[in-house]
Amino acid sequence: MNIIQTRNLTKSYGDFTAVSNLNLHVPKGSVYGFVGPNGAGKSTTMKMFLGLTRPSSGAFVIDKMSYPHNRVKILREIGSFIEAPAFYGNLTGEENLDIIRRILKLPKSAVDDALELVDLTPYKKRLARKYSLGMKQRLGLAGALLGRPPILILDEPTNGLDPVGIHEIRTLIRSLPDKFDCTVFVSSHLLSEIELMADHIGVLNHGHLLFEGTLEELKEKAAFEGYPDDNLEDMFLALIEEDNIKRGGVK
Amino acid sequence: MSFRLECKKIRRTGLTAAFFAGGIIAGALPVINTAARPDTFTTMAGSPAAVLAGANLQMISMLNLLLITAGACILYHIEYADNALQKMQSLPVRESGLFIGKCGILLPFFLMMILFETASLCFCGWHWLGAGKAELMEILQTLGFTLLLTLPAAVISLVIASACRNMWTALGIGILCIFMATILPENNFIVSLFPYVLLFQILPGMETARVLHYCIAAVCETAAACAAEIIYLKVRRLFA
Repeated sequence: MNIIQTRNLTKSYGDFTAVSNLNLHVPKGSVYGFVGPNGAGKSTTMKMFLGLTRPSSGAFVIDKMSYPHNRVKILREIGSFIEAPAFYGNLTGEENLDIIRRILKLPKSAVDDALELVDLTPYKKRLARKYSLGMKQRLGLAGALLGRPPILILDEPTNGLDPVGIHEIRTLIRSLPDKFDCTVFVSSHLLSEIELMADHIGVLNHGHLLFEGTLEELKEKAAFEGYPDDNLEDMFLALIEEDNIKRGGVK
Repeated sequence: MSFRLECKKIRRTGLTAAFFAGGIIAGALPVINTAARPDTFTTMAGSPAAVLAGANLQMISMLNLLLITAGACILYHIEYADNALQKMQSLPVRESGLFIGKCGILLPFFLMMILFETASLCFCGWHWLGAGKAELMEILQTLGFTLLLTLPAAVISLVIASACRNMWTALGIGILCIFMATILPENNFIVSLFPYVLLFQILPGMETARVLHYCIAAVCETAAACAAEIIYLKVRRLFA
């Protein structure tokens, strides 16, 4: 069963099409890796799911609820982290999460729970504007994880983290469906990173979905079409380059 | 709910201290003014409320307006500075609720200033001008009238602040409106309805019909500003 499904989802800005006729199928309980180069339309797609950007055409359904009719209900189901960390710089990490907790009407313990999950407990009394980039990233993640929502939308959650932090967050994301019975929709521009987290993959380039399926299916497709299938990064680059050439020789 | 959330958000912004200090300064103005030259005021014709309002209210209103404009800018600056607004937009809350919550924060702060100012004017009336209960009631009415007439400018300041990602832009527009108000002729009724001019109208000596017109105008302008914000938010979401 698909918890997120889009039908010809399109977003245009003037004559530029950021997302074009996207048909995504995100299975419930999976970690779905949404991968593509910078500017492929990953963040735009995620923003549409959160109602931050209005689709130009097409539709999507999240947990059997359609947008825009059920926008607020959809947002109750989603924990999100989009692009850069968003927070109140004048408040501490704990106070920031408390604002979200109050909006979601969660018990007080939810804040400590989320801080613990992202290893931010020792810094919870520090002002958010004084956090390092990695700590801000963790705070954003804690905000998304607050209340253990059934759907998590995470846009490049490991940006700005050191290698240890990246490993911790990857492990956390990988464990979420089993731990909290949730679905994770996570984006990255690195297939090698997505490979370590996701069981389903969608490859996006210039707003077009080039591939959707499991990693094994991607490898099979690569082998069938003659792309290098021993190295994921090379396979991804070949896939993107091939598509760029098809679209007018852009490398 | 929105109001309580907004109360939490304004921690460490200096907003409370600014309004408190502003209230003290605005309250001190009439006391210093009257104490410095009591004979000037005691020999003036008219009720204590008319004398004190004529001598102080314009300066007090100007200070109120400056603080309201700055306060509105701070209230939305915390939303825009670290992109917190985007987080709010991705949570199950309505942006119009956010705006109403911010109105709910700004108005009590303004009320606090008005209370300081009322106390100060009442003290001046009682101490130097021998105001009795009736005269003190007139002073209260005068400040109440000022409070009502300031509402449109307060809500419009918030509308401007909500539309400007850069706090300095909102502050600049607000200051521009304030300066424009100082150069517009107040004796023209139509011009005096401009929200930033409206609050400079003084109750003592005003015809009852004119008082009513100003009160209706203030209520209508406040409602119109709220409606404009709601429409603006809908349009902004539509073109996001």
